[in-house]
Amino acid sequence: MKKILVWDLPVRLGHWLMVGGFALAWATGDSEKWRLVHVFAGSTVMAVAAYRLLWGVVGSRTARFAEFVRGPGQAFAYLESLLRARPPHYAGHNPAAGLAIVLLLGLALASGASGWLTYQEIGGEWLEEFHEVLTGTMLGVVGVHLLGVLVGSLAHRENLVWAMVTGRKLGAPEEAIRGQRFLAALTLLAWTAAAAWWLAR
Amino acid sequence: MKKPVLLFLLAVTSTAWSAAPRDLAEAYAAEASRQAPGFKASPQRGAEFYAKRFAVSDKMPACSACHTDSPARPGQHAVTGKAIKPLAPRAEAARFSDPAKVEKWFRRNCTEVLGRECSAAEKADFVSFVAEGL
Repeated sequence: MKKILVWDLPVRLGHWLMVGGFALAWATGDSEKWRLVHVFAGSTVMAVAAYRLLWGVVGSRTARFAEFVRGPGQAFAYLESLLRARPPHYAGHNPAAGLAIVLLLGLALASGASGWLTYQEIGGEWLEEFHEVLTGTMLGVVGVHLLGVLVGSLAHRENLVWAMVTGRKLGAPEEAIRGQRFLAALTLLAWTAAAAWWLAR
Repeated sequence: MKKPVLLFLLAVTSTAWSAAPRDLAEAYAAEASRQAPGFKASPQRGAEFYAKRFAVSDKMPACSACHTDSPARPGQHAVTGKAIKPLAPRAEAARFSDPAKVEKWFRRNCTEVLGRECSAAEKADFVSFVAEGL
């Protein structure tokens, strides 16, 4: 095994845009002074999640849902294997990470939509409460995801956070993806900027 | 998971009961009188509090920055420019009918405008001013 490219640029850029957007939205959620920043940050998370749905169908092999989405059974079996001596190694997303991605994308879209409808005063009081429950749940899933990344990094002696920066992980040469997909990354940036600007108007 | 569930139940039950603003002011006054015996809510003090420039936040120095000089008039968000319905129940019937919602917005707005949470005495004065006027 050697270092190969497994995460293309849209995957990594989208990941860190969601991290930044969610952190900023969480930090500004209770403030009226930062209300516009909150709406813009939340809209960014929602726009990236929407793009990721498309990328999960037409993107690089390791980015496709069909490649890494497994049932909860396999996800928990993988988590359990992390606690034992030799967990199976995945060049791409492991089954637990796949479950985290599905949950986080769903929660990002649902909390983004409920927040936006609340901001536009379309939803009622209950939708605002629901938005808070969804974002709280999302923070919980983020916590579990971070714990999984830490344990996975230790178990495989591989810095998974850095892998999400460089896109490179240990794997067999034939598991590598072909390229960074620069054009799709540019499209992601343009789409996110346009969608977030439109939503936060 | 416990806190959101609790808040949800509180919100659901309190909406069903729909306490009158007067009851709310009395509940805050009762809480305040535990710390300062003999406390009585004062609409005058509430009016001064409502107009006071705390100047903690440059965009929102006072309650009136968004809610205008009169709580019976529609307000405007100082940052987003969005319309805010009048605070006074005589202009907007649903105001101060849901204790959980009132608590939530006291917590959020006091933290931002005053730089700290409001005391029960301040809340009692505020609600009696906004609900009954001077």
